[in-house]
Amino acid sequence: MIGGKIAFASGMLVALAGGWLAFPRILYQTRPEPVDFSHKIHAEKAGAKCEDCHSFRDDGTYAGIPALDKCSGCHTVAMGTTAAEKNFIDNYVTPNREPAWLSYARQPENVYFSHAAHVKLGHLKCEQCHGNEGGATGLRPYQWDPISGYSRDIWGRPVDRIGLRTAGGMKMDDCVDCHRRQGLEYSCLGCHK
Amino acid sequence: MKTTRRNLLKFVGGTAAGALLTPAPWRLITDTALWSENWPGIPRPARGEIRARFTHCTLCPAGCAVRARCVNQQPVSLSGVKPHPISQGALCPWGIAGHHLPYHPARVRQGPVKEALAAVSRAVAERGAGERVAVLDLRPGRTVSWTYRRAMAAIDNGLYLAPPQPAYAVDLAAAQTVISFGAPLFDGWGTPGNVFSARPTFKLIQIEPVESRTAALADTWLPIRPGSETAIAAALAGEMTLEDAARTAGVDEASIGAVKEAAESGPAVVVAADPASPLMRLNAKFRALGHTVVARREAPVPEAWKKAAAATGVSATPDGAIRALLIDESLAGGYVPWREIAPKLAAHAVVVVFTSTGEGYARHASYALPAPVFPETAEDIGPAIDTTPAVFRIAAPLVAPVVPVVNPGEVLAQIAGLAPGDALRERADAIHKAGRGTLLSYPDGKTTPVKQVSADDFWKTLNQGGCWIGDAGKKEAPGKLEFAAAEPSPDELPLAVVLAEARREGLESPLMAKLDRESNLRMAPGRVALSPADARSNGIENGGRCVLETAGGRLSAVARIDPGIPPGVVEVAGGPQVADLCGAKSRARVVRA
Repeated sequence: MIGGKIAFASGMLVALAGGWLAFPRILYQTRPEPVDFSHKIHAEKAGAKCEDCHSFRDDGTYAGIPALDKCSGCHTVAMGTTAAEKNFIDNYVTPNREPAWLSYARQPENVYFSHAAHVKLGHLKCEQCHGNEGGATGLRPYQWDPISGYSRDIWGRPVDRIGLRTAGGMKMDDCVDCHRRQGLEYSCLGCHK
Repeated sequence: MKTTRRNLLKFVGGTAAGALLTPAPWRLITDTALWSENWPGIPRPARGEIRARFTHCTLCPAGCAVRARCVNQQPVSLSGVKPHPISQGALCPWGIAGHHLPYHPARVRQGPVKEALAAVSRAVAERGAGERVAVLDLRPGRTVSWTYRRAMAAIDNGLYLAPPQPAYAVDLAAAQTVISFGAPLFDGWGTPGNVFSARPTFKLIQIEPVESRTAALADTWLPIRPGSETAIAAALAGEMTLEDAARTAGVDEASIGAVKEAAESGPAVVVAADPASPLMRLNAKFRALGHTVVARREAPVPEAWKKAAAATGVSATPDGAIRALLIDESLAGGYVPWREIAPKLAAHAVVVVFTSTGEGYARHASYALPAPVFPETAEDIGPAIDTTPAVFRIAAPLVAPVVPVVNPGEVLAQIAGLAPGDALRERADAIHKAGRGTLLSYPDGKTTPVKQVSADDFWKTLNQGGCWIGDAGKKEAPGKLEFAAAEPSPDELPLAVVLAEARREGLESPLMAKLDRESNLRMAPGRVALSPADARSNGIENGGRCVLETAGGRLSAVARIDPGIPPGVVEVAGGPQVADLCGAKSRARVVRA
């Protein structure tokens, strides 16, 4: 009788350990970004603001991650002696090859998201959705879920999403929560065209 | 603790219970659902830089202004351009799906180009006395049409053939009453945006046997007997009594009287399904010439082009005279039935068609060569029937040709030995030199007098999103209007043929074809519709196979029994095959297959 309870409890413990500790580790795959870019150095030493590189085009569309041309404006030659700088100049600037940046915040294909509406009309700050990316000294490794194909940032860092801080994820629920808090409209066709 | 079967099962049970208290199963359910959205074969939208580019639609002569949303230069959706004064921001369903056409599975993708051009050169060199080289231009009025005319003027015995081009334009906005003899006013007749913006200001009287979409939206529909349009026109002109006309047309006398009264009470215009129809003469009776029917205006052309060959109708060409015929079917236009062309060909004539579809002249030609489709090539569009000012608008290409295409204008220029050059640029320079009119830029909606723009900027704006609009000027009555002779119809066949709609020749987006035909919004090719009485008398069942017989031949079809079709009428979906079979006016017999 007791043996049966122990067996049941053991199975439960194994599952709990696997589900809470091992599952998040095996769910995501990790890839490095092509260049170890420091937002902090660019903000502090070059005095760059978010919109200097992540800009809007003249027609109001959002340019997203800047193209190599933008970087080459300053980095025509190495600006420093770090390994990251050498890698960037040798592998991308000199051969004029675009770095294959991995976007943490790329939304699923069926979502239409307008930065212009949120930044220009809603006056949201970048940090409200992207966190303190601008203060980071390096780029986090890109983690993605090979089953869904989405970045870990979309789901949010904790797999259980318990205690997720505001704007800690970019799932539909997070968008709806924010719109609801702000008293904004959140119908299906707002994002799913 | 012993390892027993019972304990093992309890362990598994504990594992299952424990798993439910972790995020793993719940997350896997979500992930599996998302995984199913990304299976191979599911189309994925393009990613990249999003830009708006501007062009004009060439699918019909309306030439509506188009704003293309492009991702990485690839158009992914098309819409109208709001500030455009003629197309008024509207785009028809065909235009909206126009960017699908380069990838159409039924597109002509290859052809024996070298062989065809060698055969034409041989035919030109070896032709006998009196034998002609001809080009048939289905969409006259374009800049490339001038190239054809110049080429034919440069070749001995060259002949420029084109369907009749109306010498007038209709000013719908100036009309209080529009009397339409079967013209599909709301279904491809003119520029959709222009027609619908003028709609609140005019009363539409639609005169035709079958309740078409235009008839359904008209203020008054006169359901006349097929072939009785002339009687109604005669009554409106006062050349026949209302009583006689009513008896002939099968409508009541008061209805015809009301049409006459409406036409005489204010600015009116008469339009017909065929712009060259003699019914258009009624406009003179209602004093519409110079008011609602005005002279068609064309954009200036370089002085040197004016020695070009004049347009000739196919019917005016002597039989057996054409040794080499080149047909530009790259854009849908006025299809000339093959039975009118065939007698004009000499023995051993070479016929080359530049086309994107196998449905039209490719069925009869010696060689079918792949032509560019919208939006693959730079092309201009002449004024539509409801465009009163002169216009010049360029359909700038949005994608590179998807298949190796042959440009018919370049081929003709080469055969005729014309000096190489960009005809569109030459014409733009001529317009700029004339210094009249205004240039409308689509991205910013600004209108600038041509005099204030440099020639280079004028050209640049035309290619990047803009159009030239000539001065409104004083309205002028069109010159002498020429109309086609009424075609006699044989009486021995019991049913009058009515074309279901002006179906566009050429390619149609597969998406539109599916929406149109599978939902029965439009009649699919190879289908006919009959009244229940005619179907019963011929033993034809709904959905059953039948044969449509006309003086021109036979067509196997599927029958639809439609109580909306009056007895004595068979409605047939249009298209080149039906045009070859029926012509403009025809009678038919439908028998069970």
